This record gives sequence, C-alpha cells and structure tokens, in this order.
Amino acid sequence: MTTGTSKLLHDLRSKCSSLKSAAELYKDCSAAEKKEMLALMKAAAADIANLLARIETGA
Amino acid sequence: MVKFSILVVEDDKLAQKVMAAQLTAHNVDLAGDFRTAMKKLETGKYDLGFFDLMLGVDDDYSGLKVIPRAVEKGVYAVVVSSSDSDEMIGRAYELGAGDFYAKGNEERNVADILRKFAQQRKAAGAADIFAGAFVTVDPETKAAALEAFKYAPTELPILVLGPSGTGKTSLAKILHEHSGRAGAFVAINCSAYSEDLLEAELFGYKKGAFTGAAESRKGRLLEAHRGTLFLDEIGAMSLNMQTKLLKALEERSFYPLGSERPERSDFRIISATLEDPQALIAQGKLRFDLFHRIHGYTITLKPLARRKGDIFALVRHFTKGGRRLAFTPEAREFMEGYSWPGNVRELKKFMDLAASGPAGRVSLETARKHLKGVAQPAAAAGPAGGDTYAYALAHGLEAALEKLSAEIIQRNLRENDGVKTRTLADLKISTRLLYATLEKAGEKI
Repeated sequence: MTTGTSKLLHDLRSKCSSLKSAAELYKDCSAAEKKEMLALMKAAAADIANLLARIETGA
Repeated sequence: MVKFSILVVEDDKLAQKVMAAQLTAHNVDLAGDFRTAMKKLETGKYDLGFFDLMLGVDDDYSGLKVIPRAVEKGVYAVVVSSSDSDEMIGRAYELGAGDFYAKGNEERNVADILRKFAQQRKAAGAADIFAGAFVTVDPETKAAALEAFKYAPTELPILVLGPSGTGKTSLAKILHEHSGRAGAFVAINCSAYSEDLLEAELFGYKKGAFTGAAESRKGRLLEAHRGTLFLDEIGAMSLNMQTKLLKALEERSFYPLGSERPERSDFRIISATLEDPQALIAQGKLRFDLFHRIHGYTITLKPLARRKGDIFALVRHFTKGGRRLAFTPEAREFMEGYSWPGNVRELKKFMDLAASGPAGRVSLETARKHLKGVAQPAAAAGPAGGDTYAYALAHGLEAALEKLSAEIIQRNLRENDGVKTRTLADLKISTRLLYATLEKAGEKI
C-alpha cells in the first residue's frame, strides 16, 4: 500500500468515526444544533464519497 | 462535578463538534491546527488536552509535536486519533501522552477519561489533605478516607461514623470541597436543637409562623441548594423529625413552617453520628428507611487512642507556624498511652494549654495536669477493653455493661467538676440513670 493510499484510508476512518459519533449524538441535540450538525454530517459524507473515489482511482 | 479547562486539538469540524458536545459541562477551547494549538498552550491554562495526530490533509502528524509542550505545561494529554497503529501509539506515549484512544466511541471514552482524570487529581491532592485539612499518618485511616474521596464527586449520600472529636466535620467539608458542587457546605448539629427548633432551622419559616418569628427565614435545606447538607449527630433527631426529613429527601421539596408554597432544593447529604446506627435502628431511635437514604457510602473514623501515630503528627500540625514544643520521654509515653476520650479535639485543647504555658519542654507533670482521663494500655483502649472483658467473663455481660456505664458516668461527672446538667448533655442520658448510678456508687447526690 502506498503512503498516499494509507493517508486516504486514515482520513476515511477519521471521517467515518466522526460521522458515527455525530449520528449517535444527533437525537439529543437542540433544533439549532441539529441544523448545524446535519450540515457538518452532509459535508463529512461528501468528503467520504470523495475519499472513496480517490481510493478507487488510486487502486 | 468538577469543571475542567480543556483544550481540544482537532482539525475536522464534525469531530470538533462531537468533542464539544461531550464536554459541555467543562470550559473547552478548540484548536484546528498546529500553530493555533501551540499558541493556545502558551497563553491558556488547561487541565486536560485531547489531541488528534493528523491536523489537516497531508499533515505530518503535527499533533504529536504538540504533546511534549502540553505535558511541560502540566496538561494531561489524551490522544484521540484514527492513526492508531502500534508505532503511533508508542510514539505518543514516549512523548508523554497519558492516554490513547481510537476515534469512534467518544460518548463512552470521553466520560471514562474524565472520570479517570478526576480520580487521579484527587489521589494526587490527598497527600496534601493528610498533611493539612485532615491530618493522619495512620494507614488504615488514610485508606478509608481515600476510598471515601472516590465518592466525593458523586451524588451518593455519605455517612461518617466515629466518636466525638475524631474529625467527622472536617472530613465532611473535604468531601464537599471535592464534590464539584457549586453551592455551600451547610452544617447543622441535630443534637443542639429541640424538635421544634430543628424543624425551623432545617425547613425555614415564614414571618408569623410561630411566636417570635418576626421575619421569614431561609432553612438549612434551602441554603444547601446545589451544595452539601451536613447533618451531624443525626441519631439525636426525633422520629417525628426523621419522618419529615425523609419526605423532604424523597421529594426534594418541603414546606417552610407557615408556608403553603413548597420549596425545592438540590442538595447532597452527608451525615454523621457517634452512635452505632444499627443499634439505633434496633432501639427504634433511627428509622430504617431514613438510614437507607443516608448511608450510600459509610466511613468509620477510629478514635485517636487507636491511631497513636497521629498523636505527634497532630502535635506538629497544631504548633506549625507558632511556638514549637518539646516533650520529655515520660510525657510522650504518657500521651501515647492516654485514652484521649475527647480525641483530636482534646489533643488540640491540650496543645493550646501547653503552648501558652511557661515551659517549652512539656513534662510528665504538665501532661498529667491537663489530661485528666485515664492513661491505659492499648488492649484496654477499645469499648470492650481487657478489664471490662475479664469482668464480663466473671460476672456476666449485663453486670459488665452496668459497670462500664457507671465508670463513664462518674468519669464524665468528674471532668465536668460535678455539674450534673453537663454530664446529662454530654452523655445524652436520662436524669433517672444518672441518679441511680450515683446512688449505687454511694456518691453524694
């Protein structure tokens, strides 16, 4: 595995972990926090899709 | 709960949000890159830091480089990272990290980290406590106190048992100081009030609630809101008052005297008694349900005569910063063999007398003059000392208890210069028992 792929995988794990933790917290958030959290979660999901595409290309 | 000052070093916005949500009860500062993290460490003061290792795309694990500076500044460094290879874990610990967690279970992990950190803090502070606020070198007493400190930041009620003058109030104060509760430490000695007065003191009253209530007054329960209510000598509380207190504890609300509006108070309860609570329950003097409400964790403090090592540790503590005293070997021996019926309080009084005396070297004569209790061998220091035990074997338990009771009453009366009302109050006995004892002993009534 190249260093580049290794870093992409690290980022992927990191983003997935944050998304999982955020999803667990979501139900306890206030309405305003939910809106902010949802925006961040969507951004993280887009990053994950992007990372997966880069890993696919790299592979 | 103790409020910590925490630095979170994390580049990912969502991860920052997740961490901040787990730490809402604390003061949190965020840093998204190496430079900001270093700057915050230079200017801020933090108890704890959570560090991600890769700070940005293509970052060369700059989070690792922040750890040594954080450790130098006294910050307890915890790595929370997805870079959890054995090599990274090893490097983080080498650089001084206290803990390493993989990202993904923040809800559980952060709570564990905070609990562990709070306990470490307390343990580190305990050495100072035993040299100042609660002086002891006795390993058993230290271990018991350390165990109790673990429950300080919880809601659990604590019951402190031990004879008068052993430091029950001091210990209760320390437990409050380590509880993280924002409110005050409010103490009340239940034996110092009649039933009516105790009710007024605890629950408060409205103006005109009874004769003499010229103004409304807040009760101790309300004063202890978000703090600690320390009920000393709870065994002296009447059953009627116990019922009222139990209701207030269960409902967290109560009615001040003369008021039709209930008051709410969120207090943690610590109580103390010099009597055996099980015996009080058996005698019908303590409600079983109240006992279960107040004894989440129980600590028993030994009398001073059973922790002899503490005698001269306390002497040093009492004379710190003032006139230092020396003791002849005979005075030392006498003090170490003395029964200290008034425990630490009696030792403090003795030290005050000795320190204001003419000689800096305390002789056996001085010690004997001021300590009027009985110097006795260690074996007889407990409630069923050697003599009493032998007497019980020879004459039966009832006769031995009667003899012991008479000895205590006569000794207390001597110490109170024959003032019977003081003995009645000190020993909480009936007038009938006092006179019957004196009559039996052939003493003048």
